[in-house]
Amino acid sequence: MRGLQPLPLSLRVPLLTVALMVLVGIIASQQVLTTLRNVQNERIRELAQLQIEALSVALGPLVLRKNVWEVYDTLDRATGETHVQRLVFTAVADENGNILAATDPKRAPLDSPIKALAQDAQNLETLSIPDQGTDIRLLSDLTYQDRMVGQILIELDVSDLLAERSKAARLLLIGNAVATGFLALLGYFGMRRMLRPITLLVSHMRNSGERPEPIPQTDLPRGDTEMTRLFHSYNGMVGSIEAKAEADKRLANRERFVSLGRLSASLAHEINNPLGGLLNAADTIKTYADRPEVVRESAELLTRGLGHLRDVARATLDQNRLDRSGAVLVPEDFDDLRLLIRPEVSRKSQDLDWRIEVDQKDLSQFAAAPVRQIVLNLLLNATEASGQGGKVGLQVYTGDNSLCINVSDTGPGLSKAACARLLGNGPASSEGGVGLRLVHDMTRELQGFVRLNRADGVTTISIELPLKPDNQGDLC
Amino acid sequence: MISRRSMLAGAAAIAGFSAKSARAMDVFRLGLTPVFLDNDAEVVDRLRGAFADTLGIPVELEQRRTYEEVTGLLLEGSVDAAWLCGYPYLQHRKSLELMAVPVWNGRPLYQSYLIAGSDNTATTLADLRGGTHAFSDPDSNSGYLVTASDLARMQERPDSFFKRTIFTFGHRNVVRAVGDGLVQSGSVDGYVWEALTKTEPDLTKHTKVISKSEWLGFPPFCTRADRAGEPAIRAMRLALLDMGKTAQGKAALDLLQLDRMAAAQPSLYDGIATRMRELENFL
Repeated sequence: MRGLQPLPLSLRVPLLTVALMVLVGIIASQQVLTTLRNVQNERIRELAQLQIEALSVALGPLVLRKNVWEVYDTLDRATGETHVQRLVFTAVADENGNILAATDPKRAPLDSPIKALAQDAQNLETLSIPDQGTDIRLLSDLTYQDRMVGQILIELDVSDLLAERSKAARLLLIGNAVATGFLALLGYFGMRRMLRPITLLVSHMRNSGERPEPIPQTDLPRGDTEMTRLFHSYNGMVGSIEAKAEADKRLANRERFVSLGRLSASLAHEINNPLGGLLNAADTIKTYADRPEVVRESAELLTRGLGHLRDVARATLDQNRLDRSGAVLVPEDFDDLRLLIRPEVSRKSQDLDWRIEVDQKDLSQFAAAPVRQIVLNLLLNATEASGQGGKVGLQVYTGDNSLCINVSDTGPGLSKAACARLLGNGPASSEGGVGLRLVHDMTRELQGFVRLNRADGVTTISIELPLKPDNQGDLC
Repeated sequence: MISRRSMLAGAAAIAGFSAKSARAMDVFRLGLTPVFLDNDAEVVDRLRGAFADTLGIPVELEQRRTYEEVTGLLLEGSVDAAWLCGYPYLQHRKSLELMAVPVWNGRPLYQSYLIAGSDNTATTLADLRGGTHAFSDPDSNSGYLVTASDLARMQERPDSFFKRTIFTFGHRNVVRAVGDGLVQSGSVDGYVWEALTKTEPDLTKHTKVISKSEWLGFPPFCTRADRAGEPAIRAMRLALLDMGKTAQGKAALDLLQLDRMAAAQPSLYDGIATRMRELENFL
């Protein structure tokens, strides 16, 4: 059975049917041949008994008188008058086992011991036809008037019975082969027909790629069979998967908006802080317009404040523009991220450990947008988790053929659901956001993987993105 | 000396008388043994027809297995005549009288053959010592007496010279027994062996003649001496002698491969008598 497993089900089942039919055919043939053998043995025993009895009646008195000629003459005449030469040889001995006469005297000379001819001879009770040879030999007592007066050895030609047996075996073999072959074909096509829905189902599942496709209504089996119910269940399952995917997509978009909202609040705060200083500078200029040194100093303050606002605006614009530009990652992208995260860090009075230890050459193998999105999501989560006065860290360096990004925080650690969203491949639970699932999915798209470590009250999420060998050049 | 004419006239008178007497007898019984005529129903029918035509009354052929039985029937009067062998004739010489003797190859004589299987290397009787031997009948001249007397001349008895002897009660059976290999040798009537060679060559081709005896008197038709003068017996004697003159008789003779029947004198059997004496003297 194990050898059949590589074969498709539509071939395996018919083959199993064929094997069972062959087995049944062999057993049935064996039964028929055994019955035939028993019938033939019965027949030959009956015939032999009749022969022995007839010879005993005819030869009894002659053997008793040891009348050699009469015994021979009787045997000779009996042989000559038999049309069917079943009895091919007969030898008669006296009570001492010495031959009196035989149908072939040269083979059984007068007065020679009958034992010399009786090798392999059977007795009447257990007489049977062997599978080999053409003759069977039978040795029996010759009784006359309830007295054993001699012995009879007869040889019966059973070649016709063996031929009949052989013919029956041949016919059974041919018949079984034809019947088995025919029924096997029927079984094969029948099973193929019955298993066609399964094949269709497998085909749909195999061809569906990432997302399973529903089976069209026209391909559904007719009637309310198990297959029909199975197909309906499959189509229902496909529908559920599509709905789940749609929900995930909507959740992801919502998360983007949430991130954007949080970012916007930070930005507003970032813009609002210098605005007071800038307005004071403007009032100072108005008030002390006649004092050039004060105006110059206030203008300088205005310039720095507006420059900061310009940088913040640029970083925000870059964050949205990069999704569509396909630009490669550069060290400045991390500066932008620092700029974007700093208001939140400052608001929560957190310590930021920022270490970028990587070459431009290694960074340029990656698109900027996904990496920025991954790092920004992790940093936002880290600032959220660390809380007021916590510590947040970013470390980017080149590892063994990979770009390693570690984001750490001093928060309480990820919940079980958050871990599942970050690390698991199964469907994400509906609770919580999808930021971590986005990190997981985008890392997978970049052929990388995510690690989570918590030690000494510090949670570290490590992203490893594989670097291409040098000769393969930059991102296309 | 009786002239041929007077003999014929006498014969005619006897024939006329006998025919009349025979008609007074309801049926004529002739004894036969299968020693010669084994299984030959056609010969029996021809003989019956030939004799019945001549005698004018039905002829019953009484067949017995042995010479002893047929001789017994003849002596007790159950049959009127019988075809015997020279040996039983001589055994009952005083009670029996010759009626006619067959003529074979121009002479009323035949030989006894000592035969063996065709692959047997023996060339003389002495070479057959210790073997198995078939006789036809203990009262047969050719089928027993000749070989027994030959052995007597060698100071041997059949049952000690041969390992085993059997009686087949038929010369044809002796040929069968030897030819089939049941026994190694046999004593057989030379006339029967020669006749079988022509009619049933498959029987004799597996045998060969080792030795032949001297010419001896052919087995005769006999009647009881005290009834020899009865008309029916005399008529039968004439019917035998004239057998070759009727179609049925000629056909029967042809089947038997005999020339005719002839009158015979007891001296024809002197050779057999000599062997009898030799055997009796030895025993």
